[in-house]
Amino acid sequence: MTLLALDNITKAYGGAPALRGVSLTVEPGEIHALMGENGAGKSTLIKILAGVVMPDTANIAIDGKAVTIDSPAQAHRLGLRFIHQEFNVVPALSVAENLFLGRPYPRRWGGLIDWPRLNATARATLERLGISHIDPAAPLSRLSLGDQMLVRISSAFLDEGGAPARLYVLDEPTAALSRSESQALFKVLAGIKASGCSILYVSHRLDEIMTICDRATVLRDGTSIDSGRLAEITHDDLVAMMIGRPVGQAYPAPAAAPGSAEMLRIADLSLGAEPFGLTVRAGEILGVAGLANAGQTKLLRTLFGDRASRARITLSGQPYRPRSPADAWRAGVAYVPAERRSEGLMLTRPIFENATLPHLAAQSLGGTWLTPGRERAATRTAGERVRLKARGPDQLAGTLSGGNQQKVVFARALAGNPRLLLLDEPTRGVDIGAKFDIYTLIRDMAAKGMGVILVSSDLPELLGMADRIAVLRGGALIGLHEAAALDQERLLNLCYGRAPAEPAATES
Amino acid sequence: MLTLLRRYGTLIGFALILAFFWANLPDTFMTARNWLNITQQLSMLMVVAAGMTIVMVMGDFDLSVGSMASLAGIVVAVLFTLDVPIWAAITLGLLVGLAGGAFNGVLVSYVGILPFVGTLATLTMFSGAGFLVSGGKTISGRAIPEAFGSFARGGLPLGEWGGVAISLPNLTIVALVIVALSWVLLEQTTFGRRLYAIGGNLEAARLAGVAVRRLKLIAFALAGTSAALAGIMYASRVASANPTQGSSLMLNAIAAVFLGSTMSENGEPRILATIVGVLILGVLDNGLTQLAVDSYVRQILVGGIIILAVAASSLTKGLKTR
Repeated sequence: MTLLALDNITKAYGGAPALRGVSLTVEPGEIHALMGENGAGKSTLIKILAGVVMPDTANIAIDGKAVTIDSPAQAHRLGLRFIHQEFNVVPALSVAENLFLGRPYPRRWGGLIDWPRLNATARATLERLGISHIDPAAPLSRLSLGDQMLVRISSAFLDEGGAPARLYVLDEPTAALSRSESQALFKVLAGIKASGCSILYVSHRLDEIMTICDRATVLRDGTSIDSGRLAEITHDDLVAMMIGRPVGQAYPAPAAAPGSAEMLRIADLSLGAEPFGLTVRAGEILGVAGLANAGQTKLLRTLFGDRASRARITLSGQPYRPRSPADAWRAGVAYVPAERRSEGLMLTRPIFENATLPHLAAQSLGGTWLTPGRERAATRTAGERVRLKARGPDQLAGTLSGGNQQKVVFARALAGNPRLLLLDEPTRGVDIGAKFDIYTLIRDMAAKGMGVILVSSDLPELLGMADRIAVLRGGALIGLHEAAALDQERLLNLCYGRAPAEPAATES
Repeated sequence: MLTLLRRYGTLIGFALILAFFWANLPDTFMTARNWLNITQQLSMLMVVAAGMTIVMVMGDFDLSVGSMASLAGIVVAVLFTLDVPIWAAITLGLLVGLAGGAFNGVLVSYVGILPFVGTLATLTMFSGAGFLVSGGKTISGRAIPEAFGSFARGGLPLGEWGGVAISLPNLTIVALVIVALSWVLLEQTTFGRRLYAIGGNLEAARLAGVAVRRLKLIAFALAGTSAALAGIMYASRVASANPTQGSSLMLNAIAAVFLGSTMSENGEPRILATIVGVLILGVLDNGLTQLAVDSYVRQILVGGIIILAVAASSLTKGLKTR
């Protein structure tokens, strides 16, 4: 019998419809993907399931019995468990304490906390999910981001008495995870599925969905499309459902081969391992691949003047020794950081202030007097260039969608006409439509003679965009390849340090 | 509607306070003389609050401004007893503020101490220095030059009002100049824009090329200097200096900036909003004094109004995001 059946879900916010008759069914023991571009209504639908938002109309049935979900407590009673995008963790507390966050700790006489039982219960829960490498007594702050996510997810699996869990809703669980951490998570999800519980899996990552999910429901403009069994359709079919038209290419074609002029030369660069050198030609996109923390961000931060280094760097033939991000911007080096919200934008400030901040010296009179009119005009121009969808230059950056926020970061990077563009995960958390815009933009910049370094954990993105790909492992450069000579499997093997000729056999 | 209430609630509250005093003090409250008097009483607080706004724009604050004001007043008075000319004494007093503020800036931005802890420590240090330099005594009487004391009593004649000659007090003029300078600095220059960027997201500002440490240092130095100026103004007004006379300034300045920031779109401090905050505190003080309300009751009322304004602002903000 169908575990969860939603039918005719509608919801309008102040007259603007967010959901217009959505249906979705989840079978027992199924991993069901919920997809759609930003703004398609995914979060509204999840909030309705969680009892946080009241729908205008809804037919909801669990095990064939009609139910109403009017509060988070009711959702919990019905066996629905939610694991949200934002971590709710306290880094200073231990793993076990974080598992029990918001729940009563086990007690012994006198109301004192029963620490041994707390840790034992935590360990049992982790082990049931096949997680044995995490010590329940360790402070959470000592864990990697991926392990923290696993802890966060595990907390939904604590036995609490009362209603047993039936359906877990995971919202973008892998957004901040490395590939190997994601793999660990998928193993956990497979275990849950085998136990007969179901999972509603929200993600932007098509490859993931095609690999681990059984079926998908695609939301578009507030309506829903049932994909049928994913095993029977292709990647492109799924994308077509999301964007409502057949896919062209996922990546724009390069305009021309990169020139031969050298834009950047790095020598003796040490990222905590054997020093190495790299070059980027004008018009070239150099991809950088590797597992999490293989030195990618260090590489970019060194070039951006944010990390002390003895490396010898030349930019367009001139010695380049940046000692601060300000030096880098002045030298024509622009940086798009990985964490848009914490490192990229001032969310409470208007778009134009975000876009012009690094260029204020040039955009002001004598470096001192602001010229807001000119700044707004420049921001409008830059906004059109990156196809920014906003009400105007005075809209607050925090009120934009993820994709448009990233476009503001790009508008800022491009406003100074840089020579070298440093990109760290430029399309993370960006929907497909905006992704293509950003790829087109990167191509255009390269075509104009800019050098681009593209760090990404999305291997198809690297293969689709880069001219050459440098592979980093443990801070060392372990390979530099023409992208055309690689495919996804070979690149993945290189990242793991396995010889491409003998896959899987020599895992380190 | 809620947004309107949130942004204009404080202004509406201010209008109600004005209306209340006007109704209860029909003869004396809404007169040019009383208002010029209010601006003079407020001038020191306004100067300190302007400096505090500059620091709070970055999301920091400076607890040491009150004891710095006392210290600067003492330094100037002690220099007078050594027959140092007025201009030189004032300059040295301001330099003490600049140095003390810069010291705060070094602690916060280069050493990396939280502003609360760092400026709490310097609050104690400046206060101790004030007692040390003055020997714990009030410096007054003949040591204070006549011209220094008469400056605060003087003003720019404005003509007559109801048969009484009125003038714009010199201290008010000083405060207006400082407000104008701060407004230009925060709203019209790249310096101010960068401070707001730091307040918006320090890490993002740093990666966008903002020299965060240097700007923080400068901002704290400005706050220290404005505190010293306020202390010197106070010394001029009472023609004396003692090591505790600036102590009420710090809490009132922070309160004024908070009151003002309830009126801006994202709760960020703005200099013109700070003026309203200062006026609310000043008008309350003036009106309640005229109504002969006990000064302890006044303190309770002022605290309550701050809570009311900030609570109303954060509660309506919560409703808006829900």
